[in-house]
Amino acid sequence: MLALVFVGTVAGLQGCEDYFDLEDNPNLVNDPPLSTMLSTATQKTALNNYRVASITSYFVQYLASSTQGSSTDSYEVTDYSGTWNALYLAMADIYDMRQKALEEGASHYVGVADVLMAYHLSLVTDLWGDAPYSNAFISTTLTPTFDPAGDLYQETLRLLDEAIVELGKAESSVLLDANNDLIHGGSTENWIKTAYALKARQLNKLSGTSSYDPQAVLAAVENSYTSNADNAEMGVFEERNPWAEVALENENLILGGWLSEQLIEQLKGTTTGVEDPRLPKITDPTINGDYVGTPNSVGNVGSASNTIRDETYISRNSPLTSDTSPIILVSYPEVKMIEAEAALRAGQTERAYEAYLQGIQASMDMLEVASADANAYISDPAVSVGASNLTLADIFREKYVITYLNPEAWNDARRFDYQYEDFTVPVNAVLPTFIRRVAYPSDETAKNPNTPDVTDLADPLWWDA
Amino acid sequence: MRLSFTSFVVLLMLWCAAGAHAQGTTVSGKVSGEESGAALPGVSVTVKGTTTGTTTDAEGNYEITVPGQDAVLQFRYLGYTTREVEVGNQNVINVTLVTDTKQLGEVVVTALGITREKKALGFAAQEVQSEELVENRQPNVLNAMQGKVAGVTISSTGGAPGQGSSIQIRGINSIDPSRPNQPLFVIDGIIMDNSTSTFGEGSELRGMSNRLADLNPNDIESINILRGGAATALYGLQGANGVVVITTKAGRKGEMRVNFTSTVGFEEVNKFPDIQDTYTQGYLGEYDSTSFWPSWGPTVEEARQIDPTHPSKLYNHFKDAYESGSQFRNTLSFSGGSEAMSFFTSLSHLRHEGVLPFTNYQNISARLNADAQVSQKVRIGGNFNYINSGGDRYNADRFNESLSYWSPRWDVTDFRKPDGTMKTYGNNNPIYGAATNKLQDEVNRFIGGLTFGYKPLDWIDLSYRIGLDTYSDDRTRTAPGPRGLPDERVYEDNELGFVHEYSTRFRAINSTFIATLNSDFGENFSGTLRLGHDLLDRQSKSYGVIGQELAVYDYFRLSNARFLSTDEQETEYRLMGIFAEASVDYKDFLYLTLTGRNDITSTLASNNRSFFYPSVSVSYLFSEQFDLPDIINQSKLRLSYAQIGKDAQPYSISSGYAPYAGLPTGYTGVTRDALLGNRALKPEFTNTFEAGLEMAFFNNRLGFDFTYYYSLSKDQILNINVANTTGYILAAINAGEMRNKGVELVLNGAPIKSNNFTWDAKLVFSANRNKILKIPEELDEIVYASQFGYVGSTVSMRLVEGEPYGNIYGSHFQRYYGPGEEEDPLFIDESRPIVIGEDGFPVRAPLTSQKILGNSQPDWIGGFTNTFTYKNLSLTALLDARIGLEKYNQMDNFFAAFGIAEYTENRNDTKVFEGVLEDGTPNTKEVWLGQGIGPDGVDYGNGYYRNYYRGVSENFVEDASWVRLRSLSLNYSLPEKWFESIFIRNASLGFTGNNLWLHTDYKGFDPETSFSPSGSNVDGFSGFTYPAVRSYLFTLNVGF
Repeated sequence: MLALVFVGTVAGLQGCEDYFDLEDNPNLVNDPPLSTMLSTATQKTALNNYRVASITSYFVQYLASSTQGSSTDSYEVTDYSGTWNALYLAMADIYDMRQKALEEGASHYVGVADVLMAYHLSLVTDLWGDAPYSNAFISTTLTPTFDPAGDLYQETLRLLDEAIVELGKAESSVLLDANNDLIHGGSTENWIKTAYALKARQLNKLSGTSSYDPQAVLAAVENSYTSNADNAEMGVFEERNPWAEVALENENLILGGWLSEQLIEQLKGTTTGVEDPRLPKITDPTINGDYVGTPNSVGNVGSASNTIRDETYISRNSPLTSDTSPIILVSYPEVKMIEAEAALRAGQTERAYEAYLQGIQASMDMLEVASADANAYISDPAVSVGASNLTLADIFREKYVITYLNPEAWNDARRFDYQYEDFTVPVNAVLPTFIRRVAYPSDETAKNPNTPDVTDLADPLWWDA
Repeated sequence: MRLSFTSFVVLLMLWCAAGAHAQGTTVSGKVSGEESGAALPGVSVTVKGTTTGTTTDAEGNYEITVPGQDAVLQFRYLGYTTREVEVGNQNVINVTLVTDTKQLGEVVVTALGITREKKALGFAAQEVQSEELVENRQPNVLNAMQGKVAGVTISSTGGAPGQGSSIQIRGINSIDPSRPNQPLFVIDGIIMDNSTSTFGEGSELRGMSNRLADLNPNDIESINILRGGAATALYGLQGANGVVVITTKAGRKGEMRVNFTSTVGFEEVNKFPDIQDTYTQGYLGEYDSTSFWPSWGPTVEEARQIDPTHPSKLYNHFKDAYESGSQFRNTLSFSGGSEAMSFFTSLSHLRHEGVLPFTNYQNISARLNADAQVSQKVRIGGNFNYINSGGDRYNADRFNESLSYWSPRWDVTDFRKPDGTMKTYGNNNPIYGAATNKLQDEVNRFIGGLTFGYKPLDWIDLSYRIGLDTYSDDRTRTAPGPRGLPDERVYEDNELGFVHEYSTRFRAINSTFIATLNSDFGENFSGTLRLGHDLLDRQSKSYGVIGQELAVYDYFRLSNARFLSTDEQETEYRLMGIFAEASVDYKDFLYLTLTGRNDITSTLASNNRSFFYPSVSVSYLFSEQFDLPDIINQSKLRLSYAQIGKDAQPYSISSGYAPYAGLPTGYTGVTRDALLGNRALKPEFTNTFEAGLEMAFFNNRLGFDFTYYYSLSKDQILNINVANTTGYILAAINAGEMRNKGVELVLNGAPIKSNNFTWDAKLVFSANRNKILKIPEELDEIVYASQFGYVGSTVSMRLVEGEPYGNIYGSHFQRYYGPGEEEDPLFIDESRPIVIGEDGFPVRAPLTSQKILGNSQPDWIGGFTNTFTYKNLSLTALLDARIGLEKYNQMDNFFAAFGIAEYTENRNDTKVFEGVLEDGTPNTKEVWLGQGIGPDGVDYGNGYYRNYYRGVSENFVEDASWVRLRSLSLNYSLPEKWFESIFIRNASLGFTGNNLWLHTDYKGFDPETSFSPSGSNVDGFSGFTYPAVRSYLFTLNVGF
């Protein structure tokens, strides 16, 4: 007690000003090193890839809910506030890293921040269209305005170009920290390739518009990945890969990660006539030894009980979704397919066909498919159609497997107008046609009066002709 | 600082010069009660106009030195009318005191433990005495005050054992919804923490206790609630939301007394929602005994034809899942004292089992209050309270949500398989969840204070108090992992098993020094000046280790977890105040009090940290000045004005980077902190004006106390939720104006008063009107809370300029407006017909149109207490009402979505919705309400309730007004003659029923319950709450 009296006396008599100086929050850091911002930025980016894919994978029918009439499956207006917030809070971290890197003259960090920002912007605008950017993350306004989707698209290209320049600089006051760069382990070379890969993706997104320039796409592709070793991927998790987490929960009958009938039927070769050897690498057979997908919006079929494991699910045995598998942002096989598409659209059929076959092969490699099986599939006439017979449908069909659980798949589906074999609007969907966008989340509409009013989810985005 | 101190010293000296010195004679005598003739111990005897005083001993005797023959002695005793006697030439003055039917003449404990005559107060004050508090036998003291005090809204957030209660005085004062609007709690002069900590994953929804719940209600002598600015001015910014001054029992001189109280009771849910009992499990009318859908199947009869094992009747899973609870409280107290010393000590144990299975709470409390008169000039006092409390908490929101998914085709109480794993047909069994997904808290708390009083001269009194409130709050959260048995079903929230250990260390030191100077000026004036210094130093540090995925499924040790992560938080807060209060009384009928306080706070930047604010109050006893008709007794008029400053929450002025939690051990990352801090924050000020009239009639048999108040808060400091596109979740700003005005009325009556029978009645009524005058410029509105509803029926609570706090916004039906008729963007015009679409179903207005569907703040609240006493038997009934408020019923939204609500029984009906088509012509289209293909051959898909009804918030924001019989207690004191020859002094038996009757139109559980934890300003959601209970309690009280 005496000590307390003492505290009181001291406080009363001594310099009061010091005693009341408790401005700095002891829970926070004021000036963190760039490396601690890099680890956060790179990990959040990959987790956001997962978050967005957890929405879009239902639209492209990689996944289907086990429950009949689930909201995402059936195109209901669904509130994706959590994803939206995660994207923007990550962008704020990326923005801060970039600002600090600029102050310190750390060009390589500026470059990485640009790539990550461009990637985030593409995720946001490809889901929602117009979105805050030019006065977001800065503390000058509490209600950021929405920039037109077209401007955001241009900004992604600008950021990627800037990234290529910054990452190419020999000088950087702080070098990328290999341990904290969770995507490329500190390799500026690979970051530049990723910048080109994303640029190729972005340029190719305009395929349905008049400003589409396949040569520009091909130019970007040429500076991009040359093997799977270059892939932009992130494999540092608090516990495990989030898809593996879904699979694990499903193993414990907390249902989720059920593969769609659409994906399974394609892999089984129902439409092509040739079974894809990637099927057993993506998922596991059912207790009956077969592969059964779940129709979107219909939910559990087959045996009445949804606890009998007679469907196929995301698998923890797959090289893509095991506990330690990295999340892939953009990959070499995908870039090859971009090349194939751009070349085909440019009339360079030979190049297109070559890239198409290389893309499939690279995908087989990534999934650790035995070479004999891979060869058997690739050499099948249904796949090896010959350069002169190669169609966009072939490319999109193969790319559909390559972009399994990647948000890019939905961009492709919309560009391709969902013309995959046997792809149909889910039963009892609330839209008469395929879904083209998602509605702004309630967190934003509630707090930001600038939020546009979007209610028709069949209304296409600007690049989606 | 220096300046203020100097000026105080000067003032002090000036006052000294004015002091009167006198030597006098000694007077002695005995004080007894007029009716009983019994000696009254502890009566305050003072020389009027001075602070010279003493108290009577156990035999009612006193001895006092008076300055001279013209001195007047005042005899004051709680519950008795104060008497004044002129000394004259008497040396022995024996006095009898008449019992008072309350009201004026009382002595009340006001700010900082200062005891003042009630008649001198220029502001409203209402005290609740010990007897009134223990009447309800509520374990949480706050609940015991419900319906008894004007201007005070107390809501139990739910019926869980130890569950928190919220208290609001004169409405919401701050636009900042995250800012606790709870009053300051002061117990025996020590600031007592009443926060509700939600530290630790999952505790937000587990009905954690408000820390006041630690207090044993049996220890309390009285509670005085200071409501207005003038009443709380001396407490400074901490008292901005009102102050609850609690005084615990003190020892009385005389023989030692022992008291034993034992309460035993049981309780049950007081209100269940109505559920349908016709349709069973499945979807689209098709029976499926493993379906996720609990009630969209066929009728029971149809299902039984397919599945002979189907029970002949559906279970009522809501009624089945809750059980009856129980509580036991035993309190043993000792009190006594001698001339020099007195003490009160108590020991109490409470064990409370809740109605939700596997929830419970325990509280052990020990107290020692001691006072010593060391010499004529020096007195020392100490109050010490040790508390151990805590229990098993469960998430009622989750429990009820899971219950809504549970199909009543299955018995929910059959929740465990013989091997101990969850038994279910498919969906999670909520009871299994309650049994295995645990959060246990344990608080060890010490509240202690020492008081030193020194009275060097008659007219000067120095007192110093140092108080400490410190506790540790340890929480353990566990769930078993899967066992890997064949066909094992894992309860979803248990994941792969986990163990979390959380710990909070809290301490607050509170030091108060007050110098009191008394003096008379001439014949008609007397005055008191108080000068003081007040310091609060508060610190809290919390940390947690979260262990996920257990290797041994039920070994709850962190070392058994596969992944470990941490959570840390630390807060420090310091506040100092220097204050002065000067009061002058003219001829005992006019009292003027002026106060001023300067605060220095640690939460604002140095240039804004120190601020001053004043108050003034007047009490005018016009009944003493004028010769009023005999029927009018002491009556007074009160007027006051006060300004109160308020600081920011700790660390609102700083921004920075917080640890990023997503990385495994071995990696470190930072992320932008959620709060956008603001160095420019300046203090906010509230100006309060209050006027009151108190009158008593017919020998105080009837009285009223009426108060009007008006308060305006400017430049409010808010940590508002902002769009995450700003890169922040919260931002600290200095903006906004809010106004509260209202009336409070207390009516006392004693309609019957005879020797054997008395009837006392008390009515309290209050109404508050709030208005948001200004919100930050760039915002149209501030959304401070929202709660999920299916497909567009999510509701939100928003602050909008010109509208009151508490508005609930949501989606609504489209109503018909003819050409040229303008639609009100904020309110629904219920007189207009609903627009019916071409498909024959009501049309919901576009989701961008969110209208005000209700308001969670009541239009008025009232409490009516009647006490009937016949000889040794007394009966007290308290009717409590809260009228004119709405709440969002999330449970009903789920009930519509899952076909549980009773009204979904009409799902196989065909009807024509009342309303008009878009062109204004009446709707005539007949539609079917069911799922799938209707009798008309049309495919109705998921049916009316899922496709239309559940998506409109308007359907689920309901009138949450209620009237209840809050408590009914019957008490019988056994005749004293029975104990004449034995060691028992007195004994009584009592029965108390709480919530015996409830009237409300609300469809869910008791609408008093709230989704949000206690202390939250979000009170508009009452869906999946821990239901309120009706309790029956028996009490035995024996005195030795």
